[in-house]
Amino acid sequence: MHPLLLGSVLGDALSFIGRNGQIPGQPHFPTLVYLTLETLKVAGLGMAVSLVVAIPLGVWLGHIHRGSFVAINLGNIWRALPSLAVLAIGVAFLGIGLGNVELALIVLAVPPIITNAYVAVDGVDREVVDAARGMGLTGWQVLRQVELPQAIPLVFAGVRTAALFVVSTTTIASLTGYSGSLGDIINNETSYHLSGVLGAAICIAALALVVEFVLAGVQRLLTPRGLILAGEDEPALELVPAVG
Amino acid sequence: MSPVLVAGGPVIPNFGGGASSFGCERANHLFCTSWISHNWSSVLWPALRQHVVLTLIAIAFGFAISTALALLAYRRQWLERPVLIVTSVLYTIPSLALFELLEPVPGLGLSRTTAEIALVSYTLLILFRNMLTGLREVPAEVRDAAAGMGMGTTQSLLRVELPLALPAIIAGLRIATVTVISLATVASLIDNEGLGVPILNAISNDVFKTELIAAGGMAVLLALLADGLLVALQWVVTPWTRA
Amino acid sequence: MLRSQFTRAPAIFAVLAVAVALGACGSSSSSSSKSPATSSGTSTTQSTGGVSASGSLPGSGKPAVTIGDKNFTEEYILGALYTQALQAQGYKVTLKGNIGTTEITYKALQSGQIDMYPEYDGTLLSSVFNYTKVPTSAAQTYALTQTQVKKHGFVLLQPTPFYDTDALAVTKKFGTAHGLHTIADLKKLGHSLKLGGAPEFATRFSGLVGLRKLYGVNPTFVPLAIGITYKAIDTGQVDTFDAFSTDAQLTSGKYALLSDPKHVFGFQYVTPVVKQSVLDAEGPAFAQTIDKVSALLTLPAIQKMNAAVALDQQSPSVVAQAFLKANGLVK
Repeated sequence: MHPLLLGSVLGDALSFIGRNGQIPGQPHFPTLVYLTLETLKVAGLGMAVSLVVAIPLGVWLGHIHRGSFVAINLGNIWRALPSLAVLAIGVAFLGIGLGNVELALIVLAVPPIITNAYVAVDGVDREVVDAARGMGLTGWQVLRQVELPQAIPLVFAGVRTAALFVVSTTTIASLTGYSGSLGDIINNETSYHLSGVLGAAICIAALALVVEFVLAGVQRLLTPRGLILAGEDEPALELVPAVG
Repeated sequence: MSPVLVAGGPVIPNFGGGASSFGCERANHLFCTSWISHNWSSVLWPALRQHVVLTLIAIAFGFAISTALALLAYRRQWLERPVLIVTSVLYTIPSLALFELLEPVPGLGLSRTTAEIALVSYTLLILFRNMLTGLREVPAEVRDAAAGMGMGTTQSLLRVELPLALPAIIAGLRIATVTVISLATVASLIDNEGLGVPILNAISNDVFKTELIAAGGMAVLLALLADGLLVALQWVVTPWTRA
Repeated sequence: MLRSQFTRAPAIFAVLAVAVALGACGSSSSSSSKSPATSSGTSTTQSTGGVSASGSLPGSGKPAVTIGDKNFTEEYILGALYTQALQAQGYKVTLKGNIGTTEITYKALQSGQIDMYPEYDGTLLSSVFNYTKVPTSAAQTYALTQTQVKKHGFVLLQPTPFYDTDALAVTKKFGTAHGLHTIADLKKLGHSLKLGGAPEFATRFSGLVGLRKLYGVNPTFVPLAIGITYKAIDTGQVDTFDAFSTDAQLTSGKYALLSDPKHVFGFQYVTPVVKQSVLDAEGPAFAQTIDKVSALLTLPAIQKMNAAVALDQQSPSVVAQAFLKANGLVK
């Protein structure tokens, strides 16, 4: 693309963002801020339900060291699920609407959270756990005071992965007829023009980065000092996030 | 200008036998096997074939580019950071956005090339990072042993380091492949190919459930199959990890 | 032992790389299908030969052409019809299906991605050329549009016998309950009236903008994807929506169309838009073939085909082929 052209297109996109996504002469269209908040609402609801379902389950399985086959393979199968296909199958069963989008988000978010929670708690150093028990701590206390703090980095890796996936799947949902996310703009180049599409794309990318940043901050807050100092607060490579 | 009419009007055939032959479709039941058998060769099979082709091309190019970058970064440490940054940025851009952004670029437009460029971009981070990490994790003693056996850098690379990096490389290939299969469904917006076409068509055709389940299901199965094949490949190629 | 393991792996590695590359290359060249062009694919289809000696067909030897179509059922059918008819005459035609709305497809035409596509002259006039003065007849619409496209180097071919305008549809129940016969009657329902349509309907003059201006209606707009409009009105999600007058669902008798005396939705006959230079390069038989197809498209014909695709869920290319075969335009 010619640099001047690129610059002007970028400029148009930034001014689109600057005027909150309004189309000149069309006051009835939802604003960028509104759509961003709607996207966050949908994604947030999906994440909330997924966390409530997946973290207790994964942590408990890891604590009792059972169910590794299910936990690990759930994670593997998850990676393979094409998000548009999951949304589409959901629409076939539930029709277009928030319900089917949330179902798809939960299906896509739960496995990485469970897998990571399981591996995190299951993988805590056995000697430390045994020492704690030897000191007289009950199972519940061991979980709360020993296993969970150690598990924070890996659990959060799963949560962050799931969060990114959920945000991008929410925008893809606009393709399956759901309206109420930033994907609406990208799907409607006719009304918003290229500058709008580009502006919305920048917003979605920015949103993904902000979510990642915030979660990283929360992770930092929750990670015990000792782990940070030991440099064990960022988990290993294998659990690569997937994008939708 | 008035329209030119054909004398006597056109012959209108009874398409497919008329409405009575399509009870299941008209009622939009959850799954109409008759529709599947009628439309397999005209709708579903071409879509599947195109999807596989899209994926293979993206993986082939992504793999080639990532390998080149990884080998370069393996020898020149300073390259790692910039490559990681660029590929990470490409990776973060949501797919819907990237496809729409590439389309207006002159010379690209609504073509398979545009779709492939976007798909390849999503493979680079994973493949590059996994290959480089895999290579780096080859123990120093092994590299020394290879050198001690008289192998040059290229020989050592081909016969020792790369094979040992294979598990990480194939792990990366697995993730990249299923990512591409998933994103290729969205790529149908650009070049009207692949399993995304029947999925999106079904939505706009009064939410035709059979087609949604068939095409969506095929995409899921394709991804699982690809993942399984690559796991099998890893098992075959790295016998020492089996032990 | 160690050595053989290490030498086996790179060999397999190399085979893997070559296999993937070969598979990709081989598949891409064999992806050109020989069956009727589907509107789901940009495969280059060769002419369905088998007609006497090669070279006797008007299209043989002529440069390849790309046809596009827009994003709804009737357009898929039209795209398939023109593509197959031209291919039967020996032309090398690629179909780029489901490009998007009018504005986006016309842009694709201007940027050269497609050489021709079936368009509705009234839509072109109001949405692309921003003509807000409502034309008073179909002939005037055609003439005005023709003048405009010629400025861009395109030309409209013969219009079809059938027209397909946007029209506001209501369920018969709703219509009788509120005494609705023409669009102006909607004014009394005020802002609580829920009007559904494609997202771009809200910004078009032959859409919400014109309705507000010429009829004074001010409904609440509910954006809907094209294919789910009938479900939306059946479930009460919307009270009225932007339907196409040739929609198959309208033949069920459940719905009524509100009349549009001020012609906000204009006159809409299908008039294929072609690049003039392509017409010149392809020879006279090119336009003649297209016109022959257009002449066959009466209202009953297109309605039957719409029903076959939209209600019976048949593939547009299969339906198009059956129609062309019955009328002797393909073998």
